Amino acid sequence: MSVASTSSVDLALGERRAGRPRRLHLLGFALLAPSLLFLALFTYLPVVRVAIESLYDTPHGTGAAAAFVGLGNYAKVLSDPAFRQAALNNLVYAVGVLAPTLVLALGFALAVQRSSRFSTVLRTVFFFPSLVPLVAAASLFFFIFLPGVGLLDYYLGKLGIRGPNWLGDSDIALWSVIGLTVWKNAGYYMLFYIAGLQNVPRDAVEAAMIDGANAWQRLRFVILPALAPTTAFVTVIALIQLLTSVDHVIVLTRGGPSNATNLLLYYIFQSAHENFDYGKAAAATLISVAILLAISFGSLRVMERGARGDG
Amino acid sequence: MNIVARVGATALALSLIAAGPVWAQTRIEFFFPVPVEGKLAREMTRLVKLYNDSQKEVEVTAAYTGSYDDTKLKAQAAAKAGKPPSVVLMSANFLVDLKLSGDIISLAPELKADGTTREEFLKDFWPALHANATVDGELYGVPFQNSTPLLYYNVDQFKEVGLDPNKPPRTWFELVDAAKKLTKDDRYGFLMAEGYDYLGWLMETFTLSNGGRYYNEDYGGEVYYDQPSTLGAARFVEDLVFKHKVMPQGVTEAGGVSTAFFAGKASMVLLSTGTLSFIRENMKQAYNVAFVPMNVRNAVPIGGASLVMFAGQSEESKKAGWKFIKWLTTPQTLGGWSRFTGYFAPRRSSYDMPEMKEFLAKNPDAKVALDQLPYAKPWFATYQTVAVRKALEDEIQAMLNGKKKAADAVKDAQKKADELMRPYVEQTSLKVP
Repeated sequence: MSVASTSSVDLALGERRAGRPRRLHLLGFALLAPSLLFLALFTYLPVVRVAIESLYDTPHGTGAAAAFVGLGNYAKVLSDPAFRQAALNNLVYAVGVLAPTLVLALGFALAVQRSSRFSTVLRTVFFFPSLVPLVAAASLFFFIFLPGVGLLDYYLGKLGIRGPNWLGDSDIALWSVIGLTVWKNAGYYMLFYIAGLQNVPRDAVEAAMIDGANAWQRLRFVILPALAPTTAFVTVIALIQLLTSVDHVIVLTRGGPSNATNLLLYYIFQSAHENFDYGKAAAATLISVAILLAISFGSLRVMERGARGDG
Repeated sequence: MNIVARVGATALALSLIAAGPVWAQTRIEFFFPVPVEGKLAREMTRLVKLYNDSQKEVEVTAAYTGSYDDTKLKAQAAAKAGKPPSVVLMSANFLVDLKLSGDIISLAPELKADGTTREEFLKDFWPALHANATVDGELYGVPFQNSTPLLYYNVDQFKEVGLDPNKPPRTWFELVDAAKKLTKDDRYGFLMAEGYDYLGWLMETFTLSNGGRYYNEDYGGEVYYDQPSTLGAARFVEDLVFKHKVMPQGVTEAGGVSTAFFAGKASMVLLSTGTLSFIRENMKQAYNVAFVPMNVRNAVPIGGASLVMFAGQSEESKKAGWKFIKWLTTPQTLGGWSRFTGYFAPRRSSYDMPEMKEFLAKNPDAKVALDQLPYAKPWFATYQTVAVRKALEDEIQAMLNGKKKAADAVKDAQKKADELMRPYVEQTSLKVP
């Protein structure tokens, strides 16, 4: 294998010197081959297998063989109230986390963008939650959220406020999970904004200052537009992350109470591993992969437009 | 070249010598969960080493596989990948589903090879354990660690409000009376674990002590959620929150319940006997334990785990696995594990041993848990156990949040459960000539 690829690289280089640029593709593919192989094996092949599995139904425990049901599993998923609730929860969760995360991340970045000893300390403080694994953070918040005896209720009690049942009240539980996720993510996305802020043209900011723009106007009309590509990028990364990690839900509520904190990925897990319905799980997986793809394509286009506008 | 060949030959010879005894051994894998604490994993590893050192034929590799749910997942994943573990310590209410999915094998051939029968083999085990070890009349699991719910109460707080700590509530009416007296501004008289899994178990507890059956122990396609016994249990729980106001609104997870008990914020809690060691080590105030209060009769469900064998292993591996299971479930081993963990030993003869009698004399709380055993009943297990259990849990959680009344909750739960079990029911009891 390694011998073959070296010789083909040699060959490609030789051809290039001979001045036949078409052979260049070979080199390109040779260089791509390792990652392409692994992508195919571990990403595309499983997707294809899941797609095929989503067309079959193997009724659990009845001894019947897998039967081709076409889009039957998709119909079953879409008509399942638990799926619809998980999808709705996921939407509320995504928007509920994304908006405050972006505002906080930008706020943190603006606060610590200048390098001083103090802001270095602040950066570390803001970034710290991202270093904590999600499972560990969730275990920590289990004790923070404990009704009556938890840290949160303890301090609220000092203010004379009696906290609600943070994770046990079906109207509040999802917002508690959102709070934890914002705490966890804001510091990480701050890094992107700090990098983005370095690229905001200084002369534009200075020109605005000379024109008499105050701090809010500078932020609104100069800095924010210049940060548009960063915001678009952070939005995509964040949305994908919000659809693909449910560790904290598993640790804190397992989707409860009454499915109030159930998210798509955990719904898929339940279908496959608790209910033995692999066809349904595969269909739900493909639906969420489709959502992910739509988000990625949509925002890639927005980003490209933003980048072009910038140039 | 010559040197290389000579070195190679020596290495081969050496490896042959080293491998010699291994050839005669059967290597098997054993997956086990530890639901409570890390020190149980160390104790299990010690037991396995003890077994490996005690004989030459079987070499067991023990793998700690996380929670009960994780263990089921990992064992199934390994089996799907063509490398099934030989023996797994599996949550006892997964046995029906795992038998139906073809993941675990009947132990009837092993019993036959030993010249015994299921009835004979299970005779020494507590009667309540037989149903969860059996699927469709055949043995599929050997009980290893078991528990029942237990009422824990704070002795100091009982004295504080003028209740006699030597007379814990025996009925639901006494429970409500005591809980009302014990409830103060930031203290609840009663608290129970209401997260998924635990809630279903405790709802079964109340239904059984309300005279009900909760589910059909002999057939995986029936539950009795909308029957008076379950409805009464649900109404009782609803009233504890909304009428008597002795229990907080919303859902409290098991970890929240034990923490509130330790902090003195809950005077009586309903938790597993498996938590006994944990409570004993962490409770600073005086506490005691009592039977689960009853309404119609004394009855509690069993919980815990059994040893099962996975499908897809060789005959040799099966034999080795069975040998290991038998060693793990001797009265001695089970007794030792019970004293270490707080679970009760599934074999009655474990309690005839002197070290067990001594232990019970020293720990009267463990004695109460044992005395409750004769009233124990099998643990909920149906077709699609988890989903059918969750059907009721979701509704009860909605009720605890004030979104539903008990009567609607049990009716909707029954409807959902029937829907889930329909494919199985149609293939079995409704398939008639």
